[in-house]
Amino acid sequence: MLTLADSQFSAYAAVGLLVLMAAGFGIFNLIASTLIGPRRRGKVKEMVYESGMNPVGDARRRFNVRFYVVAMTFLLFDVEIVFLYPWAVNFASLGPPEGDQLSLMFLLRMGFFVLTSVVAFVYAWGKGVFRYD
Amino acid sequence: MSNLMVDKVATLWPEMVMLAGAVACLMTGLSSQASRRRTVVWIAAATLVIAGIIAAAGTAQATSGVGLAGMAKFIKVAVAAVGLLLLMLNTSSTSQEGVALMRDTPELGGEFFAFFLCSLTGVMLTAGADDLVWLFLALELTSLPTYVMVAMGRQKLEARESAVKYFFLGAMSAALFLYGFALLYGAAGSTQLADIHQYALDNPHDGLLMFGLVLAVVGICFKIAAVPMHFYAADVYQGAASPVTAFLAFVPKSAGFLALLLMLGIVGWPLPQPIAWLIAAIAVATMTVGNVLGLVQSNVKRVLAYSSIAHSGYMLLGVLIGPPGSAPGSGNSATSAIGNGVAAVLFYLLAYGFSTIAAFAVLACLRVENDEAQTYNDLAGLMQRRPALAAVMVVAALSLLGLPPMVGFLGKIYLFGSALTQGYVVLVVIAVLNSAISAGYYLPIAASCIFSKPMRDVQTIEAPGRQAGAVLAAILAVVLGFGGGKLVSSANDAGRVVKQKHADKVSQVDQEKQFTSQ
Amino acid sequence: MAVETLKFLPWIPLLGAVLCAICCTSPALRRLAGAICVLSVASALALALGVYFGPQSQAALSGTTVHALRWIDVHSFSAGFSYYIDGLTMIMLFVVTGIGALIALYATGYMKGDRGYARFFFGVCLFIFAMTTLVMADSLVLLYLGWEGVGLCSYLLIGYYYDKPFAVEAAKKAFIVNRIGDLGFALGIFLTWTTFDTVSLHEAIEKARHILEHGGEITTAMQCIPFLLMAGAFGKSAQFPLYVWLPDAMAGPTPVSALIHAATMVTSGVFMIARLIPIFELSTYALPVVAIIGTFTALLAATIALTNNDLKGVFAYSTVSQLGYMFLGVGVLSTTGGIFHLFTHAFFKALLFLTAGSVMHALAGQLDIRTMGGLRKRMPVTCWLMFAGCLALAGVPPFSGFVSKDMILHDALARGLHGEPLFFVLAIAGLFTALLTAYYTFRLWFRVFMGPERFEMGEEHGHDEHAAHDEHASGGHGPHEMPWWPMNLPLVVLAIGAIAAGILAEYVGGEHGWMHTMIEHSTASVEHEFHGELFGLSLHSVMVVLSLLIAALGIGTAAYLHWLRRDAAGVLEQKFAPLVKLLVNKYYVDELYDLAIVRPLRGCGKFFNLIDDYLIQGFLVQIVGGWGPRLVGYVLKPSQSGRLQSYGVGMAVGVVIVMVILIFKLTGN
Repeated sequence: MLTLADSQFSAYAAVGLLVLMAAGFGIFNLIASTLIGPRRRGKVKEMVYESGMNPVGDARRRFNVRFYVVAMTFLLFDVEIVFLYPWAVNFASLGPPEGDQLSLMFLLRMGFFVLTSVVAFVYAWGKGVFRYD
Repeated sequence: MSNLMVDKVATLWPEMVMLAGAVACLMTGLSSQASRRRTVVWIAAATLVIAGIIAAAGTAQATSGVGLAGMAKFIKVAVAAVGLLLLMLNTSSTSQEGVALMRDTPELGGEFFAFFLCSLTGVMLTAGADDLVWLFLALELTSLPTYVMVAMGRQKLEARESAVKYFFLGAMSAALFLYGFALLYGAAGSTQLADIHQYALDNPHDGLLMFGLVLAVVGICFKIAAVPMHFYAADVYQGAASPVTAFLAFVPKSAGFLALLLMLGIVGWPLPQPIAWLIAAIAVATMTVGNVLGLVQSNVKRVLAYSSIAHSGYMLLGVLIGPPGSAPGSGNSATSAIGNGVAAVLFYLLAYGFSTIAAFAVLACLRVENDEAQTYNDLAGLMQRRPALAAVMVVAALSLLGLPPMVGFLGKIYLFGSALTQGYVVLVVIAVLNSAISAGYYLPIAASCIFSKPMRDVQTIEAPGRQAGAVLAAILAVVLGFGGGKLVSSANDAGRVVKQKHADKVSQVDQEKQFTSQ
Repeated sequence: MAVETLKFLPWIPLLGAVLCAICCTSPALRRLAGAICVLSVASALALALGVYFGPQSQAALSGTTVHALRWIDVHSFSAGFSYYIDGLTMIMLFVVTGIGALIALYATGYMKGDRGYARFFFGVCLFIFAMTTLVMADSLVLLYLGWEGVGLCSYLLIGYYYDKPFAVEAAKKAFIVNRIGDLGFALGIFLTWTTFDTVSLHEAIEKARHILEHGGEITTAMQCIPFLLMAGAFGKSAQFPLYVWLPDAMAGPTPVSALIHAATMVTSGVFMIARLIPIFELSTYALPVVAIIGTFTALLAATIALTNNDLKGVFAYSTVSQLGYMFLGVGVLSTTGGIFHLFTHAFFKALLFLTAGSVMHALAGQLDIRTMGGLRKRMPVTCWLMFAGCLALAGVPPFSGFVSKDMILHDALARGLHGEPLFFVLAIAGLFTALLTAYYTFRLWFRVFMGPERFEMGEEHGHDEHAAHDEHASGGHGPHEMPWWPMNLPLVVLAIGAIAAGILAEYVGGEHGWMHTMIEHSTASVEHEFHGELFGLSLHSVMVVLSLLIAALGIGTAAYLHWLRRDAAGVLEQKFAPLVKLLVNKYYVDELYDLAIVRPLRGCGKFFNLIDDYLIQGFLVQIVGGWGPRLVGYVLKPSQSGRLQSYGVGMAVGVVIVMVILIFKLTGN
């Protein structure tokens, strides 16, 4: 009979645990706050939460196209950072860059990758994407 | 492993130069000074020249296993050269008067030329691909910029419409061949073409592999506008600005054919029965559909779009034949360019490219009532108005038709001759009949230029680059018709490297076939 | 200069042609065309001379292949722009570019003010391109390309005055008659390829030489090749029965007649046979046939020239006749003699035509020699230049025409005396033709320049250049001498050639003379040596004496009948009226051809035209070829609706069909 550790799923156990913990944390907080928290109703209290701004008009109106461009630029860097994490984790295990050609290659590749994002950023800046006037 | 990686990067210098040039174009285009923005064209030109020189000076790429390694150098140089020609067409009018006259040819910005260079880089990368992921990225790098270029090139609603059509259908085809790639990976367990090739040799009857391969091939058919993925061609070619159309007719098509050769290289030549049958069927359907639809058109741009479809059909014959020495009993054909299907395709791509670029260039130079010249009537009597442009148009039409001494004739000789030496008599007969049908629309183009009375008030655009490009393309179409031999032999050399890479493995297939039949 | 540089030679005149074509487009540029043409041809000549006198001249003379461009490579068939350079090529290059440059220079004056000035020089440049390609070609296919190219230029330039119906007819006639010969030539090339497995000239020759020297089977096909090639040569070089186009070809401008229809193009048939002589030797009968046809044509054309009253017509027939001599030369294996005569003939015939052109120019297009007389006072330079040319043509020793013709007749006679009676007969016929030649040549000269002065102006008053010339012509009326530059000076050069080229080429340069050295290592070289004796004297001395006698007899008769006692000529004409009528009507050959060939063919043409109109056009083209594909097109047209969704569905359906077929195929196997 196979144990859990024997099966190939064991490698994913940590991930599963993480998912369970994350979901549990959320559910626990929601339930706990309903049970423990005091209830006070009010106009401001029941307003739609928009990070402290006053909500104006309908949410389904058309946004300025700049919003999308900025959002996409944000996404670009967001994704880049996601890529950077595993790279950084593995880079440490490759040893110091000097002397080892492989890690130098590794560094250069990430440098190139970051460079492409920077080019996109510079272009967006130059094109006036971040200018709100 | 690290050395391999360094080697691989070293073969990519032309592409890197192209990308750097694209970035430079992008940045220069941001300048607030119009004079500085105009230098973008020169930057792009310099980039192409440098990349071409580096590619020409570089050694043939060393790869492990399949791939168009031997061809990569030839293709990179050719792409850089044709890119320069296309760049000339895409330079817009610089004089003030010209701008006022031609509202729908805006001064193209840095983005346009950056995309232009990116797309060409995609073709170069396709030529060097040895991995499914690489191939996919290269193909998309070729295609994605073209969607934007179609939209940018012309300030008309038509252009936007065709850009959207092109994008959606292109995305659909990309999904198809990506699915095919996924199946190939699923079957072979590797994305390396060499590994998949080995797997295909070991398991010649793997249904999953065949399925993936055919899906990939059909998806790539979009790039070459072959049946059943040809629907977009006419609409997109018509909607885009003529110089951009010229770009569409050459660049994605080249990438598509290279990708096809790579894909079919997985199973190797002679192709397995079902695949060979499929390619032959697609070839026949493509050339026939292209030609009969071309006959019933009055819009020259659409006619040229259908002609582009038809020519893809002819070229598929070369894809079917493959590199030399792949068919039994073709021992001596390795010494001659004929019998080398890959070389024939490469040469025909250039032959077709120059001819069709010349035709679109003429259209790009002409304006009728503030719109592009498009119909036979617009071209009527061009000989009296603009003899040089009319001559270019006639040369282009006759070359596309395949009359000597234009280069199209030589291209057809090599293509059809190769097919004949491999015994595809029926296919060649169909192809020749199709060529005859195509006279039904090429000759009227030439005839309306020469013999008809002028009907519309045709003006010439003030863009010397375009006119020079038109004339240059036509001269090349004639000169290569005479002096194509050198080019053919280099295409032949390029095509033969593939064969040498294959030779041992192909014979292995034969042995296996004999073995299984016993 | 290295031999390799010769590969650029044909392209220089082509560049000139392109520039001339550009000059055609604008009236301002038009005047430049002449200078461009002269310069391009002269630089081609300079290039040829540079190679000849350069360090690699030995390579250039002993046979080198120079590759310029590859063109078609299909299996074993390979035809490209590769050139074969040897002594023969160099001689031909000197003739084509040298004589070409002189004539082009003359033409800049002759054609001045003509509205087709640039078009004319475009044609000349293109012709030089095609002709140099022809003489340099290594591949028979390339040779054929040049062959057809010169034919095309000839057609364009004969029909230069396209508003004159006669010129257009003549151009058509030349083209069609040449087609007949070219058909044979093309078949000959095909047969060469199938038998020798190559279209490369020197390879085919090597194979033929190998068979000749080492023995080997000579197949029927091999024996057929010379006869097919011969047809091409006879068409281009105006030999019986295909000579009829050349006299009509004089409808072109006179420099064209001089360049194309006297000095260069018409000799390409002789050149071709000389070049391929080993292939002709494969058949026992080929070269004798060449010799017989040549001699017969020489005699025939000479008799027609006797009574011809057209200034250029006489020279045209004399060209046909002289070409006959050249064929006799190559036919008796005296290739040196044949090419030698080609070489000298180019000088003196160009000179004669151009001086005739000067006369014609001065008389506003008048060509009828019966209306002329005593022009020597008005045109002294032209008169004596033509005299030099006439002496050469009449074969008076030691002028160049004598030296080369003597070589041919000597070799023929020598072979005749060595037990080949056929050649003896031919040599005698050749000698008789020489007598006729001397007579008709001087008949013309005495008529035009001697006797009492008389002239009638022609009808070409429209020539703009006359206004220009008349300014410096005294009085402004009547014929006048041509200016030294650019017209008479090139003629002087040609005259020097006509006088001395023969002697120089025979006795200077090399052991057996320059001409012999040049031919010795070329593809035209033959190993036969001819010597003979007659009446205890060496054949050479006999020939000199004979030639002198014959020339004296011919010239004397001409002087008596056409200078001193012109009335006697009239009496004689009356006496032999039927014969004269036959000759004046050129043996009714044109009429015969019209009756026997042209009319039946025209009838056939009408019949086939009906078939074409109704069966081919009506049924095959309209219905099968036109409607069929179009119908399919209309059926498919709705599929191109322009709707994105339909396209997507179409693609999806296509993929599904492909997949279904694939599944069937996979499971079926």
